[in-house]
Amino acid sequence: MPADSNSQEQQIEVAGAKIHIHKRGEGAAVFSLHSIEGNLGMLPYLDALSQSASVYAPTHPGFGASDRPDWLESISDLARFYLWMLQDLGLDEVHLIGGFMGGWIAAEMAVMCPQVLGSLTLIDTAGVRPSEGEIADIFLLGDEQTASIAIGDPDLLATASEPEDPFVRLRGREMTTRLCWKPYMHDPSLIHLLPRVKVPTLVIWGENDRIIPPSAGERIAETMPNTRLEVIAGAGHLPHIEKPDEVIPLLQQHLGLAE
Amino acid sequence: MFLMRFTERAYYHYTEEDVRNSYRSAVRLTFPNSHFDTAKASHMYNYYLDEYEYSEEVGFDGLMLNEHHNTPTCMGAAMNLEAAILARTTKKPKIVLLGNPLPIQENPIRMAEELAEIDLISRGRLVSGFVRGTGVESWATNTNPVYNRDRFQEAHDLIIKTWTTPGPFRWEGKHYEFRVVNPFVRPLQEPHPPVWVPGSASPETMIWAAQRHYPYVFLEADPDVVGDAKRIYADAANEVGYEPGPQNFGYLFRVHVQDTDEKAYEVGKGFLSGNAGVGRVPMPMDYMNPPGYSSIEGRRRLANINLRPDRLVGGVDNAGYDRVVQLNRIVVGSPDTVIKKLREVLSVVRPGILAVWTNDGSISHEDTMRCLRLMKDEVLPALRELGKELELPGPFDVAP
Repeated sequence: MPADSNSQEQQIEVAGAKIHIHKRGEGAAVFSLHSIEGNLGMLPYLDALSQSASVYAPTHPGFGASDRPDWLESISDLARFYLWMLQDLGLDEVHLIGGFMGGWIAAEMAVMCPQVLGSLTLIDTAGVRPSEGEIADIFLLGDEQTASIAIGDPDLLATASEPEDPFVRLRGREMTTRLCWKPYMHDPSLIHLLPRVKVPTLVIWGENDRIIPPSAGERIAETMPNTRLEVIAGAGHLPHIEKPDEVIPLLQQHLGLAE
Repeated sequence: MFLMRFTERAYYHYTEEDVRNSYRSAVRLTFPNSHFDTAKASHMYNYYLDEYEYSEEVGFDGLMLNEHHNTPTCMGAAMNLEAAILARTTKKPKIVLLGNPLPIQENPIRMAEELAEIDLISRGRLVSGFVRGTGVESWATNTNPVYNRDRFQEAHDLIIKTWTTPGPFRWEGKHYEFRVVNPFVRPLQEPHPPVWVPGSASPETMIWAAQRHYPYVFLEADPDVVGDAKRIYADAANEVGYEPGPQNFGYLFRVHVQDTDEKAYEVGKGFLSGNAGVGRVPMPMDYMNPPGYSSIEGRRRLANINLRPDRLVGGVDNAGYDRVVQLNRIVVGSPDTVIKKLREVLSVVRPGILAVWTNDGSISHEDTMRCLRLMKDEVLPALRELGKELELPGPFDVAP
């Protein structure tokens, strides 16, 4: 993480658990949920949003420097936990953003408590099985191969790298396994609950995502009433990192933020 | 000293190239089962059972079986079935299961029933070992590895309660829930069949076994590491008020006898041939140890317990045959040589249970039968004397 005086890192306590969180900018609340690689902080697309919004990027319980309450063992537990965090922070009209596992958490939060959201953005999200193909088994592929099919460009891969402390990395792996092992990377009932979410929803997908095929995005977009699907040409699993110049304007427009 | 005989019942009709060319070059989990020739395997299951039946005649006190999944290195994917056959076709030796992998069970009550049947049919000869299984067992059964130790302990507690508490009762645990626990079939041995725990000296498991008076069987460990590890067990035993002896410890390793040292040395190479040993393609780490299988928090808690590293870098499988033989990690030779080397090992390890892993990898049925005959005539009688001389009581001589 580049040092940045506008950025704050802090610990907040939610339901007795100390949670590490990055915050940057002032304005409407943007709440960003990281994926399996852990909290990479204010990546360029979040930094761009922070020019006119208040961006929160917490580290999930069980990852990095965040505690894990003993009872927290599933994505829906995590969704409840984050709804409490929004309550504790006094946030409403929240613009919720998440990719892959983070998208799954965001989608669960949206079906539980849609009224606290201003908008929802799901990027190559897990949580729903694709209608064609299957979600690549990241556990079976192993770290190296998963990373190489997530992003083809090795230079980009380096910028999206994980925490170097092996303990921190292992802890994240263990938590991902706890949350996503079975059913693998999805919740069978989620697709049936999503139609109740009426907030404006943007579904972004990398055209060449090799982790989770774009048909999952199509399925979500067909199911949810107020949803737009944007497929990013030439992008893989991480369009927000691979093609920020294309993704940032989409986000700004969707969130109603100045460009 | 309790003497038992073991083989992994390896399927070996494939090549190292087959493994190298398969997904992630792994011999377990994803190695395609199209390499399994069913006609050959049918024959092999039968001669492996023949060898176990002959082991009774050889004079072994126990017939040891193990279980693994999705792998040619061990055909015992449903070990209890083999145990049930031996329960009926043998009369005297204990049937020692080391062990049933508990975390991968969805229904521990069914496990309690199967084991009770084996105990009844064998007229009370079952030794019921329990293990966590390797990571591959979790993958193969899609059991979340994060809960491996939790599930091991809960399934164990449920099985023991099922065997010892009159039903019906209700079980509402974290991983298992049963409305009416009342299997009509209960084991013959009272209060329940002996439980032994095999492993690779994981402190958490050794402490757990010591607290319950369960003998711990070291699987082909460095004899010096065994010395350190026994102290961990002893400390935990002392805390619950007893002093462990040889009857609390077992040792498993490869021992192969032929008429001459030269012949045994040549045949013994089969232990480590192909993908069963030296020169094999290394397994992906995350297959054997998926995320969460070894809990980070547990490892931190036990960070002050340090076992010295194994002198064989990379273990028996990777160190090279000569080094392995030189360090007595595999004992091969004529009866006289083997007896001499076993004396060296037993004097250091001092187990009350010795598991003799007579054959594996590509060692043929014929060579195995010759080995067993020589054990019958020369090695076992000498080992019995050695056990007395070194004062190594087994768990059926002195209660562990």
